[in-house]
Amino acid sequence: MITTTKMTTMVSGTSLKHLFSQYKMLALMLSIALIWIFFNWQTDGGFLTPRNLSNLLRQMSVTGILACGMALVIIGGEIDLSVGSLLGLLGGIAAVLNVSYPLPLALNLAVVLGCGLLFGLFNGFLTAYLRIPSFIVGLGGMLAYRGMLLGVTGGITIAPVSSGLVYLGQGYLPVQIGMLLGMVLMGLSVFLLWKKRSSNTHYGLPVAPLWRDGLRIVMIGGILFAFIRTLNDYEGIPLPVLLLLVLLGIFSYITTQTVFGRRIYAVGSNMEATRLSGVNVQSVKLWIFGLMGLMCALAGVVNTGRLAAGSPSAGTISELDAIAACFIGGTSMRGGSGTVHGALIGALVMASLDNGMSMLDVDTYWQMIVKGGILTLAVWVDVMTRSGRR
Amino acid sequence: MVPANMLAKFSVGTMVMIHNVVKVSMFDYLLEMKGIGKQFGGVRALNGIDIKIKAGECIGLCGENGAGKSTLMKVLSAVYPYGSWEGEIIWEGQPLQAHSIRDTEAAGIVIIHQELMLVPELSVVENIFMGHELTLFGGRMNYAAMHQRAEQLLRELSIPEMNVALPIMHYGGGHQQLVEIAKALNKNAKLLILDEPSSSLTSSEIAVLLNLIRQLKAKGVACVYISHKLEEVAAICDTVVVIRDGEHIATTPMHALQLDRIIAQMVGREMATLYPKEEHVIGELVLEARNITCFDSDNPERKRVDNVSFSVRKGEILGIAGLVGAGRTELVSAVFGAYHGKSDGEVRLHGAVVDTSSPLKSIRQGLAMVPEDRKHHGIVADLDVGQNMTLAVLQQFSQYGKIDQGAELNVIRSEITKLGLKTASPRLPITSLSGGNQQKAVLSKMLLTQPKVLILDEPTRGVDVGAKVEIYKLIFTLVKQGVAIIMVSSELDEVLGIADRVLVMGEGKIRGNFINKLLTQEMVLAAAIGSGAVNQSANQTAAKPDIASINRNLA
Repeated sequence: MITTTKMTTMVSGTSLKHLFSQYKMLALMLSIALIWIFFNWQTDGGFLTPRNLSNLLRQMSVTGILACGMALVIIGGEIDLSVGSLLGLLGGIAAVLNVSYPLPLALNLAVVLGCGLLFGLFNGFLTAYLRIPSFIVGLGGMLAYRGMLLGVTGGITIAPVSSGLVYLGQGYLPVQIGMLLGMVLMGLSVFLLWKKRSSNTHYGLPVAPLWRDGLRIVMIGGILFAFIRTLNDYEGIPLPVLLLLVLLGIFSYITTQTVFGRRIYAVGSNMEATRLSGVNVQSVKLWIFGLMGLMCALAGVVNTGRLAAGSPSAGTISELDAIAACFIGGTSMRGGSGTVHGALIGALVMASLDNGMSMLDVDTYWQMIVKGGILTLAVWVDVMTRSGRR
Repeated sequence: MVPANMLAKFSVGTMVMIHNVVKVSMFDYLLEMKGIGKQFGGVRALNGIDIKIKAGECIGLCGENGAGKSTLMKVLSAVYPYGSWEGEIIWEGQPLQAHSIRDTEAAGIVIIHQELMLVPELSVVENIFMGHELTLFGGRMNYAAMHQRAEQLLRELSIPEMNVALPIMHYGGGHQQLVEIAKALNKNAKLLILDEPSSSLTSSEIAVLLNLIRQLKAKGVACVYISHKLEEVAAICDTVVVIRDGEHIATTPMHALQLDRIIAQMVGREMATLYPKEEHVIGELVLEARNITCFDSDNPERKRVDNVSFSVRKGEILGIAGLVGAGRTELVSAVFGAYHGKSDGEVRLHGAVVDTSSPLKSIRQGLAMVPEDRKHHGIVADLDVGQNMTLAVLQQFSQYGKIDQGAELNVIRSEITKLGLKTASPRLPITSLSGGNQQKAVLSKMLLTQPKVLILDEPTRGVDVGAKVEIYKLIFTLVKQGVAIIMVSSELDEVLGIADRVLVMGEGKIRGNFINKLLTQEMVLAAAIGSGAVNQSANQTAAKPDIASINRNLA
């Protein structure tokens, strides 16, 4: 008797919470739709063109790449303020290696990615093993990496970089390959869904009705088709956007399917309980920062390619964009909860505001005020919907 | 931290003066709650509860976790404001329609929560006057007046050894509890609600607390005492109110009631026995801890555990008793590699020295520990029930770092069935479960590592009677399978009801090592406090031969 009443409370409580979290994603999508419709109306249809959408996605790619790594850092209960400077430094290194010491592009990339990983691991080592608060490590890194960048570039813009590097930041996937990729992705999602069904059957778990999975496939197909079609109507899928999609896939896989991912959530939610459960929490934190460094390297290369130059001011305050994207996307400030796709939707919100307001020739100061306001508003909504829990 | 034995020495004298004298007046009852009902959504949490309290009366409020005790007290203290519940509250003959805790505190109803509401970094004085500071012109703190008032208050409570200017974190749980009461009295409390006040106190601290409550009663202060520990309820309450599933079950004068009767009323059935002791075979030596020493992390000169050695056998339940601060948690943490400060010593499993310098290494060697503080060290609040259970053994269902979620869910489900864990789904947040079920999830997490030695630190703290019995049964199932159990517990009757052998600690040393036969609470307590050397062999003449051989093997 007592247990049944308790359970009803629990079930109704969770389904409500579940609804909230689903609703939150929906609310984000809805707000993006509203922002887009608003800008489209203000620009007389100039916003929702294949060309502008392609630009928009390219603009968000650097923030998005950083947000992928930052989501893990914040879920793990830490913060990294050094990513903007680190992005600049690694992009600068790529430019210098490209211009002053013409290394083959592949070798150049390998060196930059290796440096990114090392810098990230160093940040992680300071945080996890030397127990310096990550906020301070980030603050120190923010200054030190920017200083290194000034030293490496001599304070001047490094240009012109080779066409290969530029292609990484500005290139497009040929239209046919884009279509082919769409089909491969379609096949992959059908395969994964089928595998999930068969695994559920194997373990005697409930299997969703066939029509629902069918509907899901149709929806995935529809979105994929619309996405690729729109981008192909302009020049094709931009390479940075392709990279971002790949990262979304990898990071979603890490957070939902792997042991490492589960441990990131556990460490962020309750580090001591996780440690007592026999998890090497320090190594988890170390590798979170390692991945973050790797993302800085990727973002740095893309950024250099996009600008076709290594600039000593590259990546200034982009750490704040990445952090804002995570928070808008529903990552918890306490750590322990959040998603990578949420963070990317957050990045899309920020990029849409940037892009739309620039098209409307809104003054820079207004742009900053609006973005600041949106960030605060989004976190307020997040706190309001969570308040039932705490 | 003040050594616990200091607290044990306190004798509560008579109160010289008490500032809040409750006048005996025309109304019969200080408080009458009539037909209290409360609904959450569609769920009825309380249904027509009546409670009457006279000035100077102490009411024991009993019920299992989730019975509605806390909800009822939240109605009384206006955490749920007037109008959000049904029924009426008559306070000193007048209807009370309080809208916030401020209103009820102004009336003289003060609630002391299970988790103390003290700010550790602030001084005793600042904590006592929190929110009611005495001020000088311009809002400056009148420290002189507050110090004087606080010292006077503590004298009334017979705690003269406290330095009121010291941050409260320097004092242990027992002192902190007394400061909470002082804080309440400072607000002119006429009705004190104590929610599980003794859950983190030692026996001697509890004695001090109960004495204090007796004196408050004599001064006309009424009490509502909520506790799972029925002996305490029996010791100080005049009347016992039992509620179950939000319903009022019985109101009985204490003198007409027996403890097992209260338990029966609480659970709605006669409990055969609280400690279902089952026969089991004790085998060979499994774990030996030698010369364990733990140093205080703040004061490296001080030893929290001083050169302690002990051992445990296959299928044996070793109880570790002692006062809070005796070093029990530190000792088992050090063995498990979870102690935060510096520690020394050697751990042997099956005779071979093993590296247990971190929880990870210990778990690999076959040790497991269920920590004392479930909320901070046991559960991971953002993970669901199932994810909490598999946290320590994720690798078992993963290949190349990928979790096989189907296999994981299968294990979770079978564990839930095995432990009788009550949850509607393994995907529910762990925080939605009751304390007992959370504890089962933490236990299951450790059991999945298939330990040879399982350390349980206060395994039944904050757990209701029903779940307690299930945990005890689980312990016996485990020892029958040959697991060695080390159980730290502050509840003496639990130690005596469950353990095969009892280690008593005091001030970081082992003060006694008893075979649990003909052992009494008084003997354990005497050893813990250290009053006179306890000759173990003298009172162990009746021990069985096999157990006697264990004794000889003790380091």
